[in-house]
Amino acid sequence: MSDNTGFGRRRFVKTLAAGSAVGLAGCGLAPGSGTATDSGGDGGDGGSNAEIPSLTEFRGSGTLASGRPAPEGTSIQDLPDLSGDLNLYIGGGEGGIYYQFVEMLQEIYPEFTVFSSDAGSASLAQTIVDEVEAGAAQADVFWSIDASSLGYVANNDAYEPMPDEAVESVPSDFRGDDNAWVGVAGRARSVPYNTDELSESDIPDKVADFPGTDAFQDAMGWAPTYGAFKSFVTAMRLQRGADATQQWLESMQEAGIVRRGNEYVVSQQVADGTLSAGFANHYYAMRVLNQRPEAPIDLAFTSGDAGALVNVAGALAVQGTEKADLVADFVQHLLSAEAQEFFATVSFAYPMIPGVQPVGGLPTVDELNPPEIDLAELANLQPTLELMREAGVL
Amino acid sequence: MSVRERVGPASDFLPEDGVDAAYAALATLLALVLVAPLAWLLVDAAGLGGEALDFLVASETLAVLVRSVALVAVVTVGGVAIGVPLAVLTVQASIPFRRFWTVLIALPLAVPSYLGAFAAISAFGPSGPLSEALGVPLPALEGFVGAAVVLTLYTYPYIFLTTRASLLSLDASLVEAARTLNCGRLAAFRRVTLPQILPGIAAGALLVALYTLADFGTPNFMNLEVYTQFIYSRHRAGMGGYAALLSLQLLAVTGVILAAESAIGADDSGAYASRGNRGAAELDLGAWRYPAMALPALVAAAALALPIGIFGFWLLRGGPGYELAQLTFSWSYGWNSVKVSLLAAVASILVALPIALRSATADSKLSSVTARIPYVGYATPGIVLAIALIAFTLEAAPPLYELGRDTVALVVFAYVVRFMPQAIGSIRTSTMQVDDRLVEAARTLGRSRFGAFRAVTFPLILPGIVTGAALVFLTSMKELPATLLLRPFGFDTLVTFIWRAEETGLYGQAAIPAFVLVVVSGLSMAVLLTQEDN
Repeated sequence: MSDNTGFGRRRFVKTLAAGSAVGLAGCGLAPGSGTATDSGGDGGDGGSNAEIPSLTEFRGSGTLASGRPAPEGTSIQDLPDLSGDLNLYIGGGEGGIYYQFVEMLQEIYPEFTVFSSDAGSASLAQTIVDEVEAGAAQADVFWSIDASSLGYVANNDAYEPMPDEAVESVPSDFRGDDNAWVGVAGRARSVPYNTDELSESDIPDKVADFPGTDAFQDAMGWAPTYGAFKSFVTAMRLQRGADATQQWLESMQEAGIVRRGNEYVVSQQVADGTLSAGFANHYYAMRVLNQRPEAPIDLAFTSGDAGALVNVAGALAVQGTEKADLVADFVQHLLSAEAQEFFATVSFAYPMIPGVQPVGGLPTVDELNPPEIDLAELANLQPTLELMREAGVL
Repeated sequence: MSVRERVGPASDFLPEDGVDAAYAALATLLALVLVAPLAWLLVDAAGLGGEALDFLVASETLAVLVRSVALVAVVTVGGVAIGVPLAVLTVQASIPFRRFWTVLIALPLAVPSYLGAFAAISAFGPSGPLSEALGVPLPALEGFVGAAVVLTLYTYPYIFLTTRASLLSLDASLVEAARTLNCGRLAAFRRVTLPQILPGIAAGALLVALYTLADFGTPNFMNLEVYTQFIYSRHRAGMGGYAALLSLQLLAVTGVILAAESAIGADDSGAYASRGNRGAAELDLGAWRYPAMALPALVAAAALALPIGIFGFWLLRGGPGYELAQLTFSWSYGWNSVKVSLLAAVASILVALPIALRSATADSKLSSVTARIPYVGYATPGIVLAIALIAFTLEAAPPLYELGRDTVALVVFAYVVRFMPQAIGSIRTSTMQVDDRLVEAARTLGRSRFGAFRAVTFPLILPGIVTGAALVFLTSMKELPATLLLRPFGFDTLVTFIWRAEETGLYGQAAIPAFVLVVVSGLSMAVLLTQEDN
């Protein structure tokens, strides 16, 4: 079972050595040193034997990561040390990047070991519910890439509520009722547009106005087979009803929307000028910009509707865990300034705490205006697929 | 002619009558234990009550039925169209570098089809790397056509291998007799060779059809809604009963496929006692033998060069992922893969042996049903099986589940349920080819029944056992969904690491484990092919 360590540890030590020159210079900027850290209660035991790497170790090194302000929020330094074993179910998607952070935590705390098992978020949610019902829960924590599988576990009462102090730094929209789960990284729906062709004022404030916008005729792209797009349509259906949603899909097609295989391709073609605009998750444009900083692409967000949906990856304590305290401490580490900076600069995710800026000059999460829907209901995909099929989109 | 008539009445390596009954019971019991976890499907589907019928005849359900069956048909026909000519070419025709081509043509079996699908979907398309390299915009390869092409490319080796085995043990004197009786070369093939190798083709086609029906990754990447997708999305949507009902419907389709195969193989016309008559009639291609190499070369290029090229390209260029992220690969993942696959291979042989021996030698309905029941496991999608196993063990005995999750026991059990039928098939075929007079001779010379089995039958069926073990090992190495859901915490294998890399978008980092996977599986393929020479 030593698979988690060994190789990983050596690599990390090497990274530390290579980064030490920068690390020393960055010491003064270590998060927490200049910010209020009254949350976290006991103030942690900063004088413990744990060595917290400098901020640069948590920060991506690409163009988008440079020149960022020091993140505000609670530093790992001010959190209690982690020690003991934790069983973690980790969902797919960006799970690999999240797991990279878990490896960093294990480097920081030699007494702390995570045994993980990753699979699809929805499968794991089902497994957790089955296990809890039989009184044989295996995992202490579930870290899922989408709110709907967290909602599934919560709705089946297979969770352990988390203490307020562990989750209160996250806006309530991105927390489950009864502190069942808390978001740790977000993905926003967005409208990538080509800045040579359009300006921000050309992008309507409502998704409903897109089919009638002349600038988009035969020049906009989407990837309807993509999971995030289906969530977007589900959000629209929840907010506006099935008929209006189907009508919207049909009129977008009449307006000549171009179909692509995935949203990364949509975003690239917007940057190339092949398309003037598109529908995509926000981080695809960031990935394009990180590779081509001069690319003429920017993001717009609609307001109060599905076009500004924010879905989150989040964590949940599994009912029956005997390590509720360790889970709460672990979750606080995921919400620390360093962790949020890591998710923001490595996977270009939306930070969940207001003190950390998203990359690329995007609005912060509290400046977005997502639709008022229960994220857990995004799990109900079936009616969405049916109406997409009826509209001839799938 | 029945097996008994053919093999003779003295199926002598079997124990005495009383033991015989117990032995039959054991084989039946083993077969039933393997499919028991699927019992939850019946319970879940029963919960639907009267709605069940409405669901079954809903237009959506019917569309999936038609689509899935069509895919199975196209892939199976495609597999026969590629596998049989290649087998004839490498066994009967003298194309140059025969050995090399044989290994190369069999190798796609070592590549998980979802990796092939992933490579194909990434390589094609108007802005894909292939279009860029060639300077011509290529259409995207997806949907039904994409799934059919990819599945055909990665499953035809089943038909190639089984057809090849039949051709190698073909009684050449029969073909020569036909030729002397003025049959043309083609007519001799059609009238003599084909009927003899048909059960071999059917056995391979059965594996291809069931693989296609159960595959999850390929239709998923190709965005084609077949049973596996449909069941999974219903399951996700909390419609467990509907998902179970669909699984039952899928198993019914499996039943139809098994019956069709049974109709072709039922008279066991491929099962004759081997007289060691090798060296099947040579097919002289003359000058055509050089152009004929284009066929294996083309197939190998499509099935092997494309994924290797794409993964290599990403390894060098980093792939379209997050270049800042880094997954830590450990060689222990390779060892873990080998370990669980070896355990599965050994366990599969232990389970398959009694079932296969029983069905090859006994001539009862029960024994033939017993031999076919396990195919249900092979046709069950890994994801359905994993979910069923979790639900079943948790309902029946939570401590058993916990024990199974703490160790690799559940993973290995799932592999055995899914892949053991491949071992039954090859052991059964080799058992039917044992010349019973040898066993009789051993008995006459004073050996006990078990003694005769040990001294005569066992050495003769050993190649079948090794082939079966190699097939189970190979397919276990590739299995993804059951591995993901049933392995212990902290236990990663090559495919779980590949999965993580792909899900994260770090495609380049999947290259090394994918390559290791193909090399290790390729080695077991070598074992498989050397068995033919014994």
